[in-house]
Amino acid sequence: MNLRYLKNELWRQRRRTLTAVIGLSIGIALLIIINALAMAYRGAARAPLREIGADITAQRPGDVPKEMTGAVFPCSAVTIRAEQAQRIQELPGVRGIGRAVLLWVFDPDRAWIALGIEQQNSVGPSVLRNSVTEGRFLEPGKTESLVESGYARQFGIKVGDVISVGDREYPVVGLLDASRAAKIAVANVYLPLDEAQRIAASSKQVQSVSPFAPNDVNLLFIQADQAKIPELSSTLRDVLGEKATIGSPDSFLKLLGSLFALSDKFTYAVSLIAIFVAVLIAFKTMAGAVTERAREIGVLKAVGWANRDVVTQLLAESIVQCLAAGVLGLLAALIAAYGLSFLTVNIPIPWEMSPKPHFLPGGGDQLFKTLRLPVHIPWTLAAFAILLSVVIGGGAGALLGRNISRIKPSEVLRHE
Amino acid sequence: MNNGAIVTGAGLSKQFGDLRVVKDVSLSINRGEFVCLVGKSGSGKTTLLSLLSGLERPTEGHVKINGTDITGSNENELALFRRENVGFIFQSFNLIPTLSAWENVALPLFPIKMPGEERKRRATGLLERMELGGRLDHLPSALSGGEKQRVAIARALVNHPKIIFADEPTGNLDSTTGGAIMEILRELHRQAGVAILMVTHAAEYANSADRLIRMQDGAILS
Repeated sequence: MNLRYLKNELWRQRRRTLTAVIGLSIGIALLIIINALAMAYRGAARAPLREIGADITAQRPGDVPKEMTGAVFPCSAVTIRAEQAQRIQELPGVRGIGRAVLLWVFDPDRAWIALGIEQQNSVGPSVLRNSVTEGRFLEPGKTESLVESGYARQFGIKVGDVISVGDREYPVVGLLDASRAAKIAVANVYLPLDEAQRIAASSKQVQSVSPFAPNDVNLLFIQADQAKIPELSSTLRDVLGEKATIGSPDSFLKLLGSLFALSDKFTYAVSLIAIFVAVLIAFKTMAGAVTERAREIGVLKAVGWANRDVVTQLLAESIVQCLAAGVLGLLAALIAAYGLSFLTVNIPIPWEMSPKPHFLPGGGDQLFKTLRLPVHIPWTLAAFAILLSVVIGGGAGALLGRNISRIKPSEVLRHE
Repeated sequence: MNNGAIVTGAGLSKQFGDLRVVKDVSLSINRGEFVCLVGKSGSGKTTLLSLLSGLERPTEGHVKINGTDITGSNENELALFRRENVGFIFQSFNLIPTLSAWENVALPLFPIKMPGEERKRRATGLLERMELGGRLDHLPSALSGGEKQRVAIARALVNHPKIIFADEPTGNLDSTTGGAIMEILRELHRQAGVAILMVTHAAEYANSADRLIRMQDGAILS
């Protein structure tokens, strides 16, 4: 292989080189950006759960409360027994579990959406400690409350006030901006878990719909091995019943409604088409170029180039062109990814996962988690695209070079 | 001049389908001999030149170059054999359009492992001999017809061939330039003692050869 010849051939036949490089780079860019988009949607679908410190949420639907008085469970989240929670914690692939109790508390002068949370747990709503805007987060062993800042503003509640929820009073130790956090399990007031369990266990309305023991809960937040999430989603239904509501990245992905989000198969199919187009372009342009150069190849052979010398030269030209196409495609994809990362995506939060009584203001509104589409190109995808370009170049160069090197110089020089 | 045969063709025939282009031709070209092959278009001159140079395989017969029978050699062996023994000059020059003049001359040396500087030294030396020292980095598109043919002659000489096969080397040139090219070939023949087999239509050039071979209908007349 002669580098000088290679450089001259590619540089001095710029139009031909550019046609091949640009054609192939479009296919490569398409392949990268499609996969980056699919990954971005998958990343976006994980966001609502990740922000609540979980990979999966689990709850059980039940009957509608007969009367909206005192403490009731939303019909979307009824009792999960302590032993069921324990069983789930022991399932293979489960790395951690967060427990919570979500209640609607209808007091004579105010309705609360109350969420009982564990004060110290890295899984589940205790991650809301990062969303405290004033005061402090709940401390273990203390009977106190946090109030959502918008709700506090609406009703003039301040840190240091004492609020009455159900039959007990709770000092407000902090305000929390729920809009900064996930839209899952959003409440007006946050209480220690044992307090919410006590309120639920002592509520006749709760007990009449869904018997509840003091250690039971009605929301579970599960952290799991990424590879086990799909399998766990179905195993959880075995534990909690077929009607259990399981929130997972896959379920959010389906809600996104994007073609890229709907199906991995779509991404694979479009990727395959992009690869096919790239290969086709590479072969077509290079085959055209090689055919144009039949006479030149004949001269090379006449002056003493062996077949392998011709093949090696054409192979090197083809690989360099395809490598350049891969790099150009990657650059184009990086620019496109940067542009696409300004897009926002609205992820609908199912009402079941953040239930609010319909008769309260905003109760029927659809909640969305809005975020910028996290489009980025991982190095593995970039490396795959570059490697693929080289493989396409190698394949095209070897195949076309092998064919053209078989020509007899006398055949192409005959018109002399 | 007769120092033994550098090329020998024995009983050479070439058939393309039903058409027999060369018919049972036997001839030898001696070392350092300048032979012209003349004949009308379609008489089989170029095909005979291709057979003798190893560009084409005979349907029948044998070819020996420098004592080696190349008839049974495969394509790669023939290419290597041509690289070491043979130089070619074509009517339409057949220079590589993307390579400069000196790179075109060095083309037969590209597959050979040698320092790049040595390649360039050999190529530029030959181009200077062809009075093209000022055109080393010019592309073929920037050269005149005569200059292109002189580059092609330099290319034919770069591997120190024992014989040069020239197929109508003046065919695309005006008479003045053609005459100059013929003078270069005669000079090469005289000074370097390279054997030359030249196909030509031009009687004035043919007459200056050591030997004239006439072809008609695929056979040698004289």
